Amino acid sequence: MRTPQTAPSRMHLAFAVLGLAFLGIFSWVFMQEFFAEWRTTQAQFRAIEGQVKDPHALSLAPPADGIRQIWLRDIDRVDRCTTCHLGVDDDAFVKAPQPFTTHSGTWLKTHPPDRFGCTVCHGGQGEATDYRDAAHQPIPHWSDPIRPRELIEANCGTCHREREPKEAFLLAAGRARIAEAGCIACHDLPGFSLDEVQAPRLESVGYKVRPDWLRKWLADPKAYLPQARMPNFRLEPDEIQDLTAFLLSQRQTTPLDASGVDWSKADADHGRAVFGEARCVSCHMIDGRGGTLGPELTTVGSKVRRDWLYSFLEDPMHDQPDTRMLRYRLADNDIRDLVAYLTEDLVDPDAATTPPAVGFLDPKQVEAGKQTFIKHGCFSCHRFGNLASTAKIGPSLMAIGDRTVEPSDFRGESADPTLENYLYLKLREPDKLAEDSRMPTFNFTEQEAATVVVALLSTRKADLPASRVTDAPAPKPYRPQGAFGALVSRYRCLSCHQVNGWGGTLSTVPLDRIGSQLQYAHIVAYLQQPYAIRVSVEARMPHFGMTADEARTIADYFSSVFVDDALEKPFAPAPDAARRGAALYTKLGCRGCHIIGQTGGYVGPDLSDTGHRLKPGWIQAWLAAPEKWKPGTLQPDYGLKPEEVQDLTAYLMTLSRTAAGRTP
Amino acid sequence: MTDPAKDGDRAAGGLTGERTRRRFLFTTGTATVVVGVFGFLGATARYLFPNVLYEPPSRFPVGRPEDFPPGTATFLPERRLFVFNSDAGFYAISSICTHLGCNVNHITGDGFACPCHGSLYDANGQVTRGPAPRPLAWFALSLSPRGELVIDEERLVQPDYRFKV
Amino acid sequence: MPSLTAATRTVRSAWRSVFRVGWPRTDKDRTAAMISSFFLHVHSAKVKKHSLRASYTLGLGLISFYLLLVLVVTGVALMLYYTPHPPEAYRSMKDLQFVVTFGPVLRNMHRWAAHAMVLVVFLHMCRVFFTGGYKTPRRFNWVVGVVLFLLTLGLSFTGYLLPWDQLSFWAITVGSNIASYAPWIGDDLKYLMLGGHVIGSGALLRFYVLHCVVLPGAAMTLVAVHFFRVRKDGLSAPPQPEPSAIVEAAPGRFPASTRSYGLMALTDRPAQPVVESDPEDDEVLSWPHLLYRELLLLLAVLVVLHVVALVFNAPLEEIANATITPNPAKAPWYFLGLQELVHYSAFVGGVLVPGVIVLALVLIPYLDPKPRGVGVWFARERRWANWTFGAFAIVAVVLTIVGTFFRGPNWAWVWPWMR
Repeated sequence: MRTPQTAPSRMHLAFAVLGLAFLGIFSWVFMQEFFAEWRTTQAQFRAIEGQVKDPHALSLAPPADGIRQIWLRDIDRVDRCTTCHLGVDDDAFVKAPQPFTTHSGTWLKTHPPDRFGCTVCHGGQGEATDYRDAAHQPIPHWSDPIRPRELIEANCGTCHREREPKEAFLLAAGRARIAEAGCIACHDLPGFSLDEVQAPRLESVGYKVRPDWLRKWLADPKAYLPQARMPNFRLEPDEIQDLTAFLLSQRQTTPLDASGVDWSKADADHGRAVFGEARCVSCHMIDGRGGTLGPELTTVGSKVRRDWLYSFLEDPMHDQPDTRMLRYRLADNDIRDLVAYLTEDLVDPDAATTPPAVGFLDPKQVEAGKQTFIKHGCFSCHRFGNLASTAKIGPSLMAIGDRTVEPSDFRGESADPTLENYLYLKLREPDKLAEDSRMPTFNFTEQEAATVVVALLSTRKADLPASRVTDAPAPKPYRPQGAFGALVSRYRCLSCHQVNGWGGTLSTVPLDRIGSQLQYAHIVAYLQQPYAIRVSVEARMPHFGMTADEARTIADYFSSVFVDDALEKPFAPAPDAARRGAALYTKLGCRGCHIIGQTGGYVGPDLSDTGHRLKPGWIQAWLAAPEKWKPGTLQPDYGLKPEEVQDLTAYLMTLSRTAAGRTP
Repeated sequence: MTDPAKDGDRAAGGLTGERTRRRFLFTTGTATVVVGVFGFLGATARYLFPNVLYEPPSRFPVGRPEDFPPGTATFLPERRLFVFNSDAGFYAISSICTHLGCNVNHITGDGFACPCHGSLYDANGQVTRGPAPRPLAWFALSLSPRGELVIDEERLVQPDYRFKV
Repeated sequence: MPSLTAATRTVRSAWRSVFRVGWPRTDKDRTAAMISSFFLHVHSAKVKKHSLRASYTLGLGLISFYLLLVLVVTGVALMLYYTPHPPEAYRSMKDLQFVVTFGPVLRNMHRWAAHAMVLVVFLHMCRVFFTGGYKTPRRFNWVVGVVLFLLTLGLSFTGYLLPWDQLSFWAITVGSNIASYAPWIGDDLKYLMLGGHVIGSGALLRFYVLHCVVLPGAAMTLVAVHFFRVRKDGLSAPPQPEPSAIVEAAPGRFPASTRSYGLMALTDRPAQPVVESDPEDDEVLSWPHLLYRELLLLLAVLVVLHVVALVFNAPLEEIANATITPNPAKAPWYFLGLQELVHYSAFVGGVLVPGVIVLALVLIPYLDPKPRGVGVWFARERRWANWTFGAFAIVAVVLTIVGTFFRGPNWAWVWPWMR
């Protein structure tokens, strides 16, 4: 029998079944596309939009129908967040639920979305069009999830490279902490300079310190002094012995001769008076009171040797050329008494009273100590002759924010394997994450470590176009020459004052235009005999013991170089201007903050002697726009008219000690 | 055309139920294939329409109002349009000739002339001569929060449109 | 009304100008339909019953071809949204995943069909071996098939780089380094393949051109040759030797064909009428028996592919980054057997074994010329051949499975359920 040349019935059945199955699957494909998450979200938005907007506004708004994207061409980034976050730039949606809520704050004014998109600041996968893939929470295969609030400032810092970006407080705090901790000494990090690392030179430390103190210090600097800058290197006891031997053997620069000093005549009480008179407390702290620019001195007598201290006070730059300590012009007797005060009154009661003589040290131990010194990279901070090396001891952190971490990096510490957790643990307890880590323990608090993490995360591969980056250029070192330069160096003006952004921040008075602000005679007098102009400020200009010649040299220089021609205008007020100015002074309530004579507030500078102190051009410029000269000043900008400024200046120029302070 | 029932007829000996069943199944199968083919073509067509574009946006800022002196026409070659600042307000006219897309030249006080095929437009962009089929396009303007004039190429307006800042 | 009739007649005649036979209702028409259509002519009008048996061929050759068709169609569609240049290539993938309508399904289907094709072509080869299908007169077609298998691997490998993500970048890094172990020419080979020393934009462009132009062109040409031979020699080897086909062409004579209707084939043949010599019972008409099965198989393949594409997303990792090596960095799965061998010896795994395997595969029909045991699975006459081939196939599969599932960081042994 021939096989029928027609298809058997079961094939028809298979045909129908397969065909229907195919149609079913195919319609699934369509469903998946046309019921995509973002489409339903947009439908919800249209419903809400109808409620919060009037018909006219509704007709003007672009329809929420279709994928929206922001394409940042210059950094080749695509953000489609606004496909769902449809109300971010529309104030009508302040109370709408997420994802439609208006963006908080004024961020979109300063960072318009068409120029910055969303993920530049927030992180996340901008290309995605659904909640999960946008990396609102961390997802596999996307290294840059949306940053939580406590880390978002890391993204600010990727573009804002200046030390203190506005309104990014955690980031600014983290960067300040990095500068203070001196991370740059061991790691390459953009935006920080080796000049910021402050550590004494150690070539002659053998003359300086007592062995007991040194051992204690090396074991844990913060145990000796909670605010110590030096971190704890977790040294073994024998390492401490070796290192102590090595350091005590360092006697390259002999101290100035103190053999002629008759210590029996020393008067510690007089020394205490000298200490107060010279305003040492502006920089040095004793028993919790005083400045932090110099070392704490509560138990300095148990730390340093007397002869070395005498030499140091005679000339601090003798063995510490880079010190911020100024060279006072003190009589030898005053120095003797000061040393006596420091070494006799300021002692640790538990420490031995007399240091052992500088004696023989085992060369083997010294050599072992040198190896310890090198191993721990002590020379990174303590510049040390030929030991300094060009390569830094720690790994480069130039793109630390792009580092990937593996669970194995955590060595059993229980934490999500994220970079922020890794950095946090590393900062808090460096020894936990690596065998035999040489990174010292900084004793960061949780809050400090968190801010440093933010600052480190902001340090990413530098592939942003220049137009995207804001940066405050590093101040150029200012090193004047000649006689003036020698005085600036001797009195270490730049430890506290700034010129062109270079120098310390202890003083509130930059020197850039000081010659146009202050009268010549006042400068000369004040340098020789400084007094408190701002009564409420603890840190004051030290009493240098400057000679009149020196003061004149400085004042000459100030008056010819540190001037601003715009301030040097002749001042010829109308006859009754001063009277009107006095009325204005009362009307504006200036006395709330300023003292004249005996009365007034303590917030602002004392104005009693203004007529002999300030130049009228400066007063006018200051009153017209205080914020221009000192951003963040407490002085209010009253929006004074030019004639009011002139009146007030005329009044202030009439003030002098003789006129207001005492009876004429 | 399709008539497997007759095929089935001979094979199955003409059982009516069997015949209907075969016809039904085959018709079902064929229908699904036809629907599937059209669905595939439709899906392909939809696929070919891009949902996002890597092009300059159709809404863009062109500059501050002060950048356009009163009584002048400013040609923006990158955007292919003219911005006018008249006494009555700002307006923007496309420089794209509606004939074949050349850039038209603006002749002050006289209108626009296309260098390619000689189309002429009056000062309002209305065709006065030549092969151009439609007047030049007018775009709506608005002011951005940052005080910049914004042109929206999606919003076309009539020649009486003037935008007052 | 006459005009309507005239119009109907015109339409009908126009239809006939395209489909000359119409829907065939008689056996004669069915035969005519087959031989008058360009596309259907790939089949003869009648086919042997044995070649329709699903348990004999498993339809693997046809499935391979369908997968190739799917890959061509989806591949062309994907090309419309793809830019073969490093950062944009990855961006294209993200666009396909998130904003192109039907983009995810298309990409998933392309990806899974590519993997499936490697597997199915391999299975097809095994099937042909175990049923003795490589013997005379199909000896050369086996060789063509081996080359097609290599082309399939090449297509899949070159396509692997195109998404430009970590997975593809490092798989190609490993894969191209395996190639560099070839003696003498290894380094030059790698340099040529990558268009440079590292995988960069040059390599991506080369892989793109190979993947979209060169290899598909070569594969389609060889598929045509493969099909032509099949058409000439009949679908799948029959259980009994065909009388006229035992002897391949004598020198200087045109090879006899059992399936040709052309005059050419008659010219040099013995003077005997060319009619079907087989008993009528042994054959059925290709329309509908063969075509219907092919249609059903196509539907089945499409259904399965769609389901897989809807359920499983094609992988896409971070953008390629030459500074971050995933641990372990694995080649595409079909090379993991080789990578497993490379783990022990680079030369053995990278050069010796693949070289010997390809050579052996090509030589099989010439080393085993005895025309016995054809047309049935695991014929007893070919026990030795089947055991040998089977052993190699199993070792290959086991090595691949080990490399895929049992190897973790640093290529250390990991139980898959312990991950």
